Amino acid sequence: MAHRIRGRKNAKKGFQFTLMVVGASGLGRTTFINTLCDADVVPKRECDEPEMAHVEESIKIKPYTVELDEDGIKISLTIVDTPGFGDMIDNEYCFQEILGYLERQYDDILSEESRIKRDRRFRDNRVHALLYFIAPTGHSLREIDIELMKRLSPRINIIPVIGKADTMTPSELVDFKKRVMEDIEHHNIPIYNFPYDPEEDDEETVEENSELRSLLPFALIGCEEEIEVNGRRIRARQYPWGVVEVDNSEHCDFAKLRFALLSSHLQDLKEITHDYLYENYRTEKLSLSSGEESE
Amino acid sequence: MAPTQVGTGIGIANLPNQRHKIVAKNGSNFTLMVCGESGLGKTTFINTLFTTTIKTPRTYKRRFNKTEKTVEIEIIRAELEEKQFNVKLSVIDTPGFGDYTNNRDSWMPIIDFIDDQHESYMRQDQQPKRNELSDMRVHCCLYFIRPTGHTLKPLDIEVMKRLGTRVNLIPVIAKADTMTPTDLHKFKKRILEVIAAQNIQCYTFPLDSDDEASTKRNMSIMAAMPFSIIGSTEDVVTADGRTVKGRQYSWGVAEVENEDHCDFKKLRQLLIRTHMLDLIHSTEESHYENYRRTQMETRKIGEPKVKTVTNPKWKEEEEALRKRFTEQVRLEENRFRSWEQQLIAERDRLNKDLEAEHSHIKALEAELEAMQAGLSPKRK
Repeated sequence: MAHRIRGRKNAKKGFQFTLMVVGASGLGRTTFINTLCDADVVPKRECDEPEMAHVEESIKIKPYTVELDEDGIKISLTIVDTPGFGDMIDNEYCFQEILGYLERQYDDILSEESRIKRDRRFRDNRVHALLYFIAPTGHSLREIDIELMKRLSPRINIIPVIGKADTMTPSELVDFKKRVMEDIEHHNIPIYNFPYDPEEDDEETVEENSELRSLLPFALIGCEEEIEVNGRRIRARQYPWGVVEVDNSEHCDFAKLRFALLSSHLQDLKEITHDYLYENYRTEKLSLSSGEESE
Repeated sequence: MAPTQVGTGIGIANLPNQRHKIVAKNGSNFTLMVCGESGLGKTTFINTLFTTTIKTPRTYKRRFNKTEKTVEIEIIRAELEEKQFNVKLSVIDTPGFGDYTNNRDSWMPIIDFIDDQHESYMRQDQQPKRNELSDMRVHCCLYFIRPTGHTLKPLDIEVMKRLGTRVNLIPVIAKADTMTPTDLHKFKKRILEVIAAQNIQCYTFPLDSDDEASTKRNMSIMAAMPFSIIGSTEDVVTADGRTVKGRQYSWGVAEVENEDHCDFKKLRQLLIRTHMLDLIHSTEESHYENYRRTQMETRKIGEPKVKTVTNPKWKEEEEALRKRFTEQVRLEENRFRSWEQQLIAERDRLNKDLEAEHSHIKALEAELEAMQAGLSPKRK
């Protein structure tokens, strides 16, 4: 309950949260960001000239900041988009770009902490969570998925999600989720899996976290337009054979993920980033430089 | 010279029937290639198209053992029969294509395979005995495009450019039930723009035909390219009680054979019902002839094909081997040199001993002479 009490005090000040979104183009990343913020945060991709379509675009890192209001609590949400990931013929370079960005934010904090006079209004740009979009192939994880998660997990909380999950029928989705989690376990990738302690935490927390853990990887569908269904206006995708509702928990896991990210687990993600991931980086970095000095 | 109409029928008009009997007896031979990243529904599509399990779906048990990052060529053969007419079907799959982090040159095995079939047919054709020709020339290649909703990827463009000049290329949009009708329409338009701008040759066929209905049908098929497809081998029940092949979602059933849902029917018509022979003929008459002409302009009959080994992996291995051998040779040379040094040192030592002995003997001789000289004057 501690984090909820703290929450009340901070409610006036508001929270700051940084989320990075990574995935190949065409998996619904941009639409997801706009659906999450319920606003046109990221502009729709302008497709370039057809004559230039063969030119390989390298990865770019683009942060966007949005002010959200979650049940009276203000959240200053920064979303870092990574267009161009996985789009080239040879994608070895992408991982280093993202890792470099994450480590630069840690470096900024490190140098700020070591200052004699610290700036009180220093903006903390560390990324607290990374949503990795898996392609809904229906088979298992691809090489690029495994490589990315392996390389970035020491620096950031990774939450795997399935983009465009309306490609799969319910039974296919269950099998695919199972295989993805098997792959993650087989390769020993430490993802953020809503940790809980059955002995220490209360029953409500245990239940909440184990339910979220069972939904991993989250099946996402995004939609920016509203259509009219049964007299109500809701966000949904209209197919000739039916209507897929974004906020319906039976159709996809969007609503649950949104609640976890922006309400229930926001503080936990920030704490793990600061107390564990950042500390590890700090230790590694400082022992490296002190090792060089002693030589 | 205008053809003369024969007065009373002499039976020339019966030739098509004779042809029909010959073709019906011999059966036909059709080779279809499916190309695209894994997870786009290629296997399901093949099984849906021929309404039988041509290729069994993948098992996942051994996926942790795979270490090779290669593109394979998988050939599945089947014999189909409908109303006593046989077709020997070969399906070529390309597992591993587009699946890795680095897909540079991953299209080489595919392109090489297509060229090899033309080559093999050409060689067989040049043999003295050419009744039993084994013909695996690819008659049609379906390229599966990921339904991103944006545009073609650079990898798609690279491969399609190379495929289009060698084989009848038909691009299809895989898993089309991901896209709403408006998105699909925009996506198709953009793909066609890119194909035109990048000069990718896709399969086209003559639209005009004898009867009005065929012409109209041909035009509607051409207009639907690239074909959006949904594949399914399962029977499901729709909301209004029909049993169809389709995919059952919580929000409805996407039907395979419903023309409002996808272009499967049009593609099937193109591949099998109306244009299979055209695909076979255009492969033989234009693609194979192209290949033959370019090869014969530079090679004499009977000469083997010049293979340029530009595979970077092999180059690396070559370098590694070369380094190893150079290292070994260097070690051996060192060994021999030190042996030589030892021998020289030994020889010098022995020579010195020899000289020492020699001077010792000389000294003794001198002594002997001196003693002899000392003795002889006494005797006088």
